[in-house]
Amino acid sequence: MKAEALKGHLDGMLLAALEAGPRHGYAVIEHLRAASGGRLDLPTGTIYPALHRLEEAGLVAGSWSVAGGRRRRSYQLTEAGRRELTGRRADWRSFAEVVGAVLEGKPWPSPA
Amino acid sequence: MAEPGLIEQQLAALRAQLPAGIVEELADGLAETYASYRAAGLEPQAAARAAICEFGDAPTITASFADQAPARRAARALLGAGPVVGECWAGVLLYARAWHWATPAVVPLVFGALLAAVIALLLTAALSGGYRRARRAAGAALAGLVLLDLALPSALVLPGLARGWPVLLATGASLLRAAYAAHAWRRLHAR
Repeated sequence: MKAEALKGHLDGMLLAALEAGPRHGYAVIEHLRAASGGRLDLPTGTIYPALHRLEEAGLVAGSWSVAGGRRRRSYQLTEAGRRELTGRRADWRSFAEVVGAVLEGKPWPSPA
Repeated sequence: MAEPGLIEQQLAALRAQLPAGIVEELADGLAETYASYRAAGLEPQAAARAAICEFGDAPTITASFADQAPARRAARALLGAGPVVGECWAGVLLYARAWHWATPAVVPLVFGALLAAVIALLLTAALSGGYRRARRAAGAALAGLVLLDLALPSALVLPGLARGWPVLLATGASLLRAAYAAHAWRRLHAR
């Protein structure tokens, strides 16, 4: 799946990748690749600007450590980031239900 | 693990365009990408080429950072707000019949030149593909805007040249924009 198709959803996926704990940029893209069954097709380096933007928005917090003799920047969700992730999940479920109902001609799901 | 020259060339290209802290972070990611290809059995040069292909070349990464940079976002917001604030002050000048003021001709000329310079810098920051160039242009534009937005109300209100509700509206708009520009300038220089 190409980057253009993911426009608008990348931030939510990055937040979800950090939900389990802090990760550095390469670990984030590896998680996205594994979680999508290898179908995500993004240049790895373009994840970093998105992570920086999330940090400026206060949704993730970055910190430096040393690994393999190199400085490494890892990111973790802030409380605001967790709230944002919850909201994006709810928005996605609503979106998927609406579009799925129309595209697949299924009746609107009734509450269980 | 020593990385071949290809990766160092990539990092050198990134260092020419991006701040040191960002390149340090990218260097770690690129090293991990290279290491994963080496662990998969590729020879060093092949692993380096595969890593750069997967990671993205320097122009792609630089353009991605420039596109999402605070400098660009601030420049675009201020270019959008400019006509609004400008209209407010145009209203003040009309309401106060500025054409009757005994103002030396050099004053509006200097003001106009400064405003034109700020607009040109904001356009550079908003449209430039270079991260550093956009950041420098935005920094200069933000400082110029704060100066303009503080100087104009002082120049018109304090000597009593303009009064009334249009001045309050325009001064409020300028002070809001100056506050945003100052905040954006601090964020720009925080890293």
